[in-house]
Amino acid sequence: MHHRLAVRGDVGALRLDVALELGAAWTVLFGPSGCGKTSVLRAMGGVLPGVVIEFARRAVVETRVRKSGPGAPDGVGWVELGAKAPDCRGLAYAPQSGALFPHLSVRDNVGFAYSVCADPPREATIVDEALSLFKLHALCERMPRQLSGGERQRVNLARAFATPHACLLMLDEPFAGLDRGLRDELLPGMVEWGRGRGVPVVSVTHDVDEALLLGAETVRMEGGKVVAQGAARDVLAEERVRMLRNLG
Amino acid sequence: MDFPALGLTIRLASVTTLVLLVVATPLAAWISSGRGWGRRVVQAIVALPLVLPPTVLGFYLLVGLGPSTAVGRMVIALLGHPLAFTFWGLVVGSAVYSLPFAVQPLVAGFAGVDRGLVETAGMLGASPFAVFRRVVLPLSRISFVTAAVLTFAHTVGEFGVVLMVGGDIPGVTRTLSISIFDQVQEANYAGANRTAVWLVALSFVALLIVYARGGMRRGAEVG
Repeated sequence: MHHRLAVRGDVGALRLDVALELGAAWTVLFGPSGCGKTSVLRAMGGVLPGVVIEFARRAVVETRVRKSGPGAPDGVGWVELGAKAPDCRGLAYAPQSGALFPHLSVRDNVGFAYSVCADPPREATIVDEALSLFKLHALCERMPRQLSGGERQRVNLARAFATPHACLLMLDEPFAGLDRGLRDELLPGMVEWGRGRGVPVVSVTHDVDEALLLGAETVRMEGGKVVAQGAARDVLAEERVRMLRNLG
Repeated sequence: MDFPALGLTIRLASVTTLVLLVVATPLAAWISSGRGWGRRVVQAIVALPLVLPPTVLGFYLLVGLGPSTAVGRMVIALLGHPLAFTFWGLVVGSAVYSLPFAVQPLVAGFAGVDRGLVETAGMLGASPFAVFRRVVLPLSRISFVTAAVLTFAHTVGEFGVVLMVGGDIPGVTRTLSISIFDQVQEANYAGANRTAVWLVALSFVALLIVYARGGMRRGAEVG
């Protein structure tokens, strides 16, 4: 599934001017803090006021059958998302801050998207699979205030992964608060989840190691603009040299 | 002690509280959901009873619900009699008079819900109504207790609007506060004192509930 995005506008002191093609299975938005990475995700989510956005998804377009005769056959086309409400964009989102619903247990947090879905799958297997993927079954009955920072982040990720009918998974600093061992343990399952379901993932990070580990299509941002896009090792080569120079 | 007045006062305060919670919830949700002049104007109108003399409010309600206005004539056509000097006339007057005490705690409660939670819920596919029902309402439930208790207590204590809209009909529109006024007029200070003690007790218990809930919330946040 392919997404096309253009966002322009002022976000606080930052002038955001970003045009992106999101065609890879996993795309990483990389850049220093304050460069506009999170704003790009929020713009895609339809919750960033004051920006002009063009956002479209290349997907199977269903054609309505006319009463007077057969309609055109279904085909692949661009579905405009920029004017749709946040809940109608087919997104799943894990925010940087966690933002777990404090009045819901771990299971209910993870099952939130399923519970509010207008057309839910008959069985809630996606919720159990997300709980398994992030090793949360033992914590199901706990409330968010009873969790450690790392556990909260796993619930945050599981909640996004358990969104039925998601067409784009957006993860803001998904490994913040997780130790490296756990990150390396979870990562293959997360990548496989997206590939297996045909759901592209876009994640945000300012960590070079994380971007290189993912080895995904990488978009490097600075000052609200895209300065490079391509394979992680190419896009981040200059960043690695700069880091090594700083170490020396 | 004027027990019919006590019963009527409690019935009036209960019905007014229920009516106002139903009316104030969508109104407060709308006010807290954005900015703009429209919302500011509505908020100012809702807050008017806080500053208007109750007799002014009562006067306009009495005239507005009477046969000289279209609304009044419509009500008379529907019910067969005017609303003034009836229990339901008192409910309308009390609802208008206590509206800010129901709306303002709810606006504060809804606006106090973390914006990040609301945005995340929307981006996880929840419709605006589902976001309100599943996230905003449960997280602002203490505001409902505050709104209910303040509305109840304020309705129990009202005098001017009740007197203007309802008059002083024993068993129909004579509430506790009017009963105290009547007892004082008759120089029955002992009776007025007994009735007043009831009002002080009711008001104190109501405020105690509000502050106890506030303390519990702070305790929960710390824990």
